[in-house]
Amino acid sequence: MGKLLSSPKLLAIAIGVVAALLISVAGGALGASFGFGWFGGPIPFISLPAERVAYIGSYPLLNTTVMFWFGGLILIFLAWRATRKMSDVPSGLQNLFEVIYEFFGNTVDGVAGGKAKAGRRFLALVSTIFLVVVIINWVGILPGVGSVGRIETIEEWVHHHLPKVEAKVQEKHPEYTPVQTEAAALVHLLEDHGEDTFVAFDGSIVPLGRGEQARVPLNKIITFSESGLHQIEEAIHDGDDLDGLPLLDSIHSDIKKGVVQGEFVYKGQDFKGKTVGLLVPFLRGASTDINTTLAIALVAMFTVQVWGVRALGVRGYGGKFFVNPISQGPIATFVGILEGFGELTRTLSFTFRLFGNMFAGEVLLIAMAFLLPLIGIIPFMGLELFVGLIQGYIFAMLTLVFGVMAVASHGDHDTHAGDH
Amino acid sequence: MEALGITLQQLLTQLVSFLILFFLLYKLAYTPIVGMLDSRAKKIKESLEMAEVARLEAVSSAERVESEIASARQEGQKIISDAREAASKLREQEQSRARAEVESMLDRATSEIAREKDSAIEEVRKEFAGLAVTAAERIVERSLDAKSHSSLIDAVLKEGLNERKN
Repeated sequence: MGKLLSSPKLLAIAIGVVAALLISVAGGALGASFGFGWFGGPIPFISLPAERVAYIGSYPLLNTTVMFWFGGLILIFLAWRATRKMSDVPSGLQNLFEVIYEFFGNTVDGVAGGKAKAGRRFLALVSTIFLVVVIINWVGILPGVGSVGRIETIEEWVHHHLPKVEAKVQEKHPEYTPVQTEAAALVHLLEDHGEDTFVAFDGSIVPLGRGEQARVPLNKIITFSESGLHQIEEAIHDGDDLDGLPLLDSIHSDIKKGVVQGEFVYKGQDFKGKTVGLLVPFLRGASTDINTTLAIALVAMFTVQVWGVRALGVRGYGGKFFVNPISQGPIATFVGILEGFGELTRTLSFTFRLFGNMFAGEVLLIAMAFLLPLIGIIPFMGLELFVGLIQGYIFAMLTLVFGVMAVASHGDHDTHAGDH
Repeated sequence: MEALGITLQQLLTQLVSFLILFFLLYKLAYTPIVGMLDSRAKKIKESLEMAEVARLEAVSSAERVESEIASARQEGQKIISDAREAASKLREQEQSRARAEVESMLDRATSEIAREKDSAIEEVRKEFAGLAVTAAERIVERSLDAKSHSSLIDAVLKEGLNERKN
């Protein structure tokens, strides 16, 4: 401490850090409660499924897919640069790739055991999984990913949600006409999501200082009443002509307008007439999409089965799961069935381990950007880099371990039974 | 499934994307890098083996050199001792020869001396005879008395001896 005070440079840095921390606390969500909160950004709508950002024909392009391709392109570019001019004395990128492949080369041989290069068959997939998972994890936490996006208007929101409800209505009342089905679905939607809140935007950009911006509930955007909804329901039930209902028309036009209708004053600012919607990020880390993690997990587990069959033959490998209860005893049969379920649960645990970690990381970063804007996020970004690396390593190592277990024949299988 | 966002369409998209990525990485990174690592490992192994061979060769050649040196030394020693032996033999021979020569020279000298002595004695005798004759002549010339007789002989002898001395 004495040293800190005696050096003016250190002291200045310490004061600067404390000041930045205070400013970021005051500027964030905590400060907002006391009338500060200058730096708060909009909270993106946190949704488990990935969001659609564009359509290619009728194919919906997800923001996670974009990031997957982006990460893949980076990886391919790096690999191309690394191997374009190979030299016996490696340097730069070639060195980096050599270190990674050599590390995994030694690891697979070590885990597979036995003679030299025993693990070579696992190397390609294990190292690729590591590289891909790490790169998609890392590009997923680049600044701007998950926080830069467009506004999903109320109309689009309804458009996304309506088909599901319509399908449910149709199941219940197959006799409804399409118009009736749509109206009924709309009623259900409003009833279920009337309290959902949306962000009121100032134009298309949320200005700084509205971090805790007004969350406007749906019933302030679309004017409706319980009794009005009941009227519509009755009209549908009775088979009346729906075109004449004024409430339904006004709901439709409100959805189209997508602005704050009712009185909504927040911190002295009247939000009436402002556009509302949800912030849909253009980009989102590919590993926060369960499709990605499931795809990689499926490839990994499928390849594990291929390794097993190639090493032991169909009979030998199948014999791990289908055990004759008469010759081997019923317990062995039961264990074999469990073993088969194990393959399925491994796929699921692969999927959810990566997805859960990375999704939680993304939510953590969003929360920290909200609580401590500017600097609060920095240590957590470091943490997420580390988590991304570790998750890639875990994915690769588990693939390797499962592969080694799959190729182990019955006799020495028991020695591995503990490491599930 | 719906709530989690799993759709067949997206799952297939990611699956195909991953497989393409795997294929490209296999071609671009895995094959060249692992090939490079393997070839380098092989190269290192080979050079180590070569170094081992060279080391063994060096050791064996050093041994050979050593043994050669030893044998050369032995040979040298043998040559030296042979030479020494030959020298001593030679010396002995020379010595004995020299001795023999000296002896023969001595013999020769002795016999020469003897001969010289004999001849000298002969000469002396001849001289004496002459002198005696001379002395006898003188004596006869002078009416010889006994006294002058003998002094005359003495003088002749003295004369002869002096002549001989010179």
